[in-house]
Amino acid sequence: MFKKALLLGIVSGLLAGIAGLIYAHLYYSINEADFSKVASSIRIIASSLTGGVLAAIGFTILSKWLKNNGEIVFNLLFSVISFASLLMPIAYKLPTSLETPELFPGMVIPMHFFPALAWFTLKPLFIRHPVA
Amino acid sequence: MNKYFYPALAALILTGSAFTFVATSWQIADGYSIGFSSNDAGGVFKTFKGAIAFDEQNPAASKFDVTIDAASINTGNGLQNKHAKSDEWFDVAKYPVIHYTSNKIVKAGSGYQVTGDLEIHGVKKPVTFPFTFQKTAKGGVFTGSFTVNRSDFHVGKPGGDVAEQIKIDISVPVTKQ
Repeated sequence: MFKKALLLGIVSGLLAGIAGLIYAHLYYSINEADFSKVASSIRIIASSLTGGVLAAIGFTILSKWLKNNGEIVFNLLFSVISFASLLMPIAYKLPTSLETPELFPGMVIPMHFFPALAWFTLKPLFIRHPVA
Repeated sequence: MNKYFYPALAALILTGSAFTFVATSWQIADGYSIGFSSNDAGGVFKTFKGAIAFDEQNPAASKFDVTIDAASINTGNGLQNKHAKSDEWFDVAKYPVIHYTSNKIVKAGSGYQVTGDLEIHGVKKPVTFPFTFQKTAKGGVFTGSFTVNRSDFHVGKPGGDVAEQIKIDISVPVTKQ
């Protein structure tokens, strides 16, 4: 179980990271706001991967603990945590050398949903439940 | 000899020598830093301009008349910037600039001390602070630091999370005009 969940976490984390990089590139070309000093490519990939792996651990624990209700609780928690994590970029203080800090949340906030989005999209490919 | 010759000569010498006491004018160069910090808030003002006349040998003839664009405040956080520009803090729509004019500059120890009027948020108060001037290949760098009480200038509400005492750190590279 954990092996499949971990694989799903890694793949969805990587996918979220790639989506984050594409989005950051688009955001830069549209707004000319370069935040690569604080949200570098490596940090975007690493944080997305961390989100995916943490999701795998959480999913495994909740599925073992709550059995059939585990996935329901996990999905709810994953969405709530992703939403609550929006406070981080809103409150984040950038180096004052960076212009237009007000554009920073606009770049990072969507990225906070990418790991959950990738997980929910890919989950049926990795963990199948028998049809009742 | 015309009776006006010597008085005219004296006036000419006095007028000419007066120019030797005029301090050198300096142009503010890129790379300046106007920072502020307290226990909670901190940041920089990104736009700074003005006239600087300064002579190391004759500080009494020196003069600073500088302005900071209050709307150029950057705390590193978009929400804080918006809040700082609002009428509760700097009210940049009504008071777009922070203005400092020196009245007296004297030698103090290894550096100098300037006394002048600082106007923030429409409130003018006398402010004295020490500063140094270091010559460089291209001109020089003024460096100074002082503390202001934000409530003296009616910036923000008294109390709250942001300390009353705000430290200002200034570093201004200049080139000769």
